[in-house]
Amino acid sequence: MKTLLTSCFIGAGVLLAASSGASAQDCKISVGSVLSITGSMAAIGSAIGDAGKLAVDHFNAAGGVAGCQVNYILRDDQGSPNVGVDAAKTLVEIEKVPILLGAIQSGVSLPILTSVTVPAKVTQISCCSSAPSFTALAEEGGTGGYWFRTLPTDRPQAGVLATIAAERGYKKVAIIHVNSDYGVSLAARFRDDVQKLGAEVTDMVAYNQEQASYRAEVNAALQGEPDALFLVAFPADGATVAREWISFGGSRNLILSNALRADEFVESVGAQYLTEAYGIDNAQVEGESVEAFNASWKETKGSDPNGPGLHTMYDAAAVALLAMEQAGKPDGTAIRDNVRKVTGGEGEPVYPGVEGFKKAKALIAEGKPIRYVGATGPITFDANGDVTGPYLIYGVKDGELATLDRWDKARVGAALEKLQ
Amino acid sequence: MTGFAAYLVFFLIVALTYSIVVMGLNLQWGYTGLFNAGVVGFFAIGAYGTAILIGPDRAHLIGGFGLPFPVGVLGGMALCAVAALIVGMATLRLREEYLAIATFGIAISIQLVALNFESLTGGAQGLVGLPRPLFGLFDSPASYNLFYLGVVAAVAGLVFLALETAVRSPWGRVLKAVREDETAARSLGKNPAAIRLEVFVLGCVLMGLAGGLYVGFIGYVSPLDFLPILTFQIWAMLIVGGSGNNLGAVTGAIGVWALWAMSGLAISRLLPVAYQSQGGAIQVILIGLLIVVTLIFRPRGLIGESDSVSKHTGAR
Repeated sequence: MKTLLTSCFIGAGVLLAASSGASAQDCKISVGSVLSITGSMAAIGSAIGDAGKLAVDHFNAAGGVAGCQVNYILRDDQGSPNVGVDAAKTLVEIEKVPILLGAIQSGVSLPILTSVTVPAKVTQISCCSSAPSFTALAEEGGTGGYWFRTLPTDRPQAGVLATIAAERGYKKVAIIHVNSDYGVSLAARFRDDVQKLGAEVTDMVAYNQEQASYRAEVNAALQGEPDALFLVAFPADGATVAREWISFGGSRNLILSNALRADEFVESVGAQYLTEAYGIDNAQVEGESVEAFNASWKETKGSDPNGPGLHTMYDAAAVALLAMEQAGKPDGTAIRDNVRKVTGGEGEPVYPGVEGFKKAKALIAEGKPIRYVGATGPITFDANGDVTGPYLIYGVKDGELATLDRWDKARVGAALEKLQ
Repeated sequence: MTGFAAYLVFFLIVALTYSIVVMGLNLQWGYTGLFNAGVVGFFAIGAYGTAILIGPDRAHLIGGFGLPFPVGVLGGMALCAVAALIVGMATLRLREEYLAIATFGIAISIQLVALNFESLTGGAQGLVGLPRPLFGLFDSPASYNLFYLGVVAAVAGLVFLALETAVRSPWGRVLKAVREDETAARSLGKNPAAIRLEVFVLGCVLMGLAGGLYVGFIGYVSPLDFLPILTFQIWAMLIVGGSGNNLGAVTGAIGVWALWAMSGLAISRLLPVAYQSQGGAIQVILIGLLIVVTLIFRPRGLIGESDSVSKHTGAR
């Protein structure tokens, strides 16, 4: 055993020496990423990893960051906090990353934040962790300002969805939600909001992931004879629930969470059953900013970027790299302090892609302010590192995912004010 | 202190925490033959018990008593003892595989209670902002980690010495007697049922102790920490290290956790960037392969159980 252990350490040491030798010659800055490549989030994890890599590749093609090439290191958390925390610690201590991107699940991101990135003063930006506990922790000062996330929290999402439900005249809404931090908090917010707008919530049913059938949950939700269903789920399980819901005679008035905006979901449920459905996702404003991302994704992957977390992951990486460029050095605290300088504000807008980053680098070199308008549109971080942004309302038209409506920030703000 | 040394300290804190769990399981399986497949459930009870006792007061939660860390850990252990006593009385008449299935189900139930009892455990949100003991006294996270490693190593060392003393005592010999032949043990006037219950509770209390130490180190607890995979990791540590030997249990904990953690590092270094998104799958295959290879060459584990032969039999 001792020999195995020793050889493990020696092996790691040799690897370490090899890479530090290389870095002296061609100047590399490492950017770390902890995502679920295997485990319960594996279906979406590796594509999200590719989105992060795309941003890094674009930056390298534009000439790198802070005078160096960027080395993207992706680590798997296997869907477990203990593995994720360990991976993050190696990235921070051994690879010396000033930025950590990830993780997907809040239950992995949070222990990484409290036990690795905040103590080591490393900026952490997540594409996908939506739990409100981060906001609470930030308000207590527990994040030290090192925490950001590019996907909006559930509060505006729930508010907009509830407002539309009321506009459509739904009176009795049932909720089926995934039993995770994401599902529980989004469902609870939606219930509070829709009740304020005068509708009744007949039942709130939680389901556990990766089951073969959800008949029991669907039956329970059908009991109150609701005229609409709010489904908070991920594509595979969501399709199972939706199929069973419709085959048991449930209403086709489906309200869908952001994670269900995936071709996989529409295909396995059947587009003809989803004509009345609507859902919410981050708005991708038309024009250069989004097309730059979509086009380069299609170029490298051969398909449209429809899937949870792709746009937000690209933006997480892009914001981190732009902040590092603005800071001029790979230092976690300096990056933290510059994140808000390259987003929001009144600077010159820059878009995703090689050309966009070239422009950003040139402007930063001239000392001019920039404002990153990303794959998810304009981004503004509040004091807790949360974003509110414009949203799009999606549905299914002619057998495909389509955008039905757009909500800009002012409209979202007005809807939320009514719900106060 | 940065770089590999800082990581090594961090790694050892986690590995030694697990070694306490593995020693608890070793007492149950290695010495007494109790097939506890619900390890993670008792780890969770200890962790949540500690978190609820030491956590800050929050309006939407029942817990948050803000007690000192040692009190929290002892409370978590006490809670574990009570839970193990109830579970033990209900299930210990079951033999090996039946006991395994029962305890496995109980562990999943405990995780589901943690996921759904929102007013106590915070539900899926978990409990955030838990204080880390004496954190304020250290000027850098690295020196704090070194201190915490000292604490965990001292606790693991104490547990090790206590167990070594216990299993070499007459009480320890009864454990092996129960494991090898319960009828024979009973015919010698021993009470196997009582012994099994004692061992089950004691082993589970050790798992709870480790849960408390884990919470103190991470400062956060959520149901995601207690998925069944952890039970299998702990079992892999015991089997690879060598069940029936406390030194084997500790070695297995460090070795298997090193394999689990450092295989990821090795793969991220060796694999071309373009294939990184396949790296996770390769890592999982590699872990499985190395465990299987170890067991082919060392079927009793790296440090197996030493033969116990009476000194009265003389030289052979």
